[in-house]
Amino acid sequence: MQRILNLACGSFYALGAYTGVSAVTWALGHGLPAPLFLLVLVASGLALAVIGPPVERLLRAVYDRDESFQLLLTFALVLMFEDVMRFVWGTAPVQLGNAYLVYGRLAVAGSTVPVYNLVVIAAGGLVALGMGGLLTHTRFGRIVRATAENREMSAALGVDLRRVYARVFTLGVALGTVGGALVIPATAAVNEMAIDVVVEAFAVVVIGGLGSMRGAFVGSLIVGVLKAGAIATWPEVEMLAIYVVVIGVLVLRPAGLFAGAAP
Amino acid sequence: MLGVRDLDVFIEASHILRKVTLEVREREVVALVGRNGAGKTTTLRTVMGYRRPTAGAITFRGASIAGLPTHAIAARGIGFSPEDGGVFADLSVAENIEIATWTRPTGRPAAERIALAYEIFPRLRGYGARGGAQLSGGERKMLSIARALALDPDLLVLDEPFEGLSPAVVPVIGEALSAITRLGRGLLIAESNIHHVPAWTNRLYVVERGEIIFAGPLDEAHRDAGVLRVIGGKAS
Repeated sequence: MQRILNLACGSFYALGAYTGVSAVTWALGHGLPAPLFLLVLVASGLALAVIGPPVERLLRAVYDRDESFQLLLTFALVLMFEDVMRFVWGTAPVQLGNAYLVYGRLAVAGSTVPVYNLVVIAAGGLVALGMGGLLTHTRFGRIVRATAENREMSAALGVDLRRVYARVFTLGVALGTVGGALVIPATAAVNEMAIDVVVEAFAVVVIGGLGSMRGAFVGSLIVGVLKAGAIATWPEVEMLAIYVVVIGVLVLRPAGLFAGAAP
Repeated sequence: MLGVRDLDVFIEASHILRKVTLEVREREVVALVGRNGAGKTTTLRTVMGYRRPTAGAITFRGASIAGLPTHAIAARGIGFSPEDGGVFADLSVAENIEIATWTRPTGRPAAERIALAYEIFPRLRGYGARGGAQLSGGERKMLSIARALALDPDLLVLDEPFEGLSPAVVPVIGEALSAITRLGRGLLIAESNIHHVPAWTNRLYVVERGEIIFAGPLDEAHRDAGVLRVIGGKAS
């Protein structure tokens, strides 16, 4: 909504993951019952959103500048955050013991799935619903939509753009850090995860259409299914398959599948 | 109430406004008339804080507002309707109007401010749930002015409120503006067509190439040779 391309969103995801590991390890060490680790993950992700306002303050310098400046500045942030993570957590992958299977497994359609995966899927759905509700049914959401559509008009109606930008950005950071925290039981936190997730997220956004919520939803489903399908059948082409689709979309519908929707 | 003195504005390297001076007193209706590109919109946008003047003063109710961010200027009680209306297509008509009551609480209850907006523009009444994108050009203008009024301002700044309207809608807007004046709110209207300037306008400024070339009552403007040369000599 600030019309800024922010690569550093991947870093928030990675920071959320690392912090989640540390927070849960610490909490379990202090006698937290294992099934409650999910709450600790969410709480650590939310707490980490405090880095939102200062980072947003920094990005203000490039709001009205060319995308290349935005990419440069946010890529610099990615590299700096990566070094911070390397410094704090080291270069070896960091993992969360066996929390993953605390909730057990469940037989679904002929195969067994860790219950935690279902919890994460449900959490994703809840977040999507919650964001939709926030945007359509609250004053804050309506002001955000108005500002995304026409910021000058919004300001003339008394909306303090800086405050809205800071809040929206922090909300985005929180989604990233909680998202990163939630994947951590299933996978290890590694230094490169920021870049990996940004690359994937940009594929999602290009397929779905920049600034469209529905596009992001459909795009992420397409990328997710492609990835899983490729890994199951022909792992070598995982990245290739995603980018064949990206290129196809760019050629046939350059603005993405759901272009034109309001941001 | 609003005082603009010796305003100089540059856009890139072009000198757009030169020593523009104008004034709107309490409850006054003031028109800023000029051809397209003469500097009307730039004047209004500078008052609203979208542009920073390089020199000159802008005061509202005795305090300087030059250099303030736009939202702070709105908060002091200046409502704005831009030339394109600036209606939020993604929001409903009701939400478009309500938004101004959330950002600027005043002594008047929100419900009263919203009711007043609909009272001035009854045509919008049935449209509450309709999206901003589903309105005609005239209805968008109405909504834009209704929304500025819902901010509960002392002064409304309207950029070309009659621009592009069908002849049937022009009197509707004219009547609404007159009703707003009767409420005691001041009006600053930019207009390129002198025939659209309401007869009850207190004062008229004519801007040409970024300079004010005339300031005075409407009937005097109709007799001024310089004014007629600039804006439609047909009138007499």
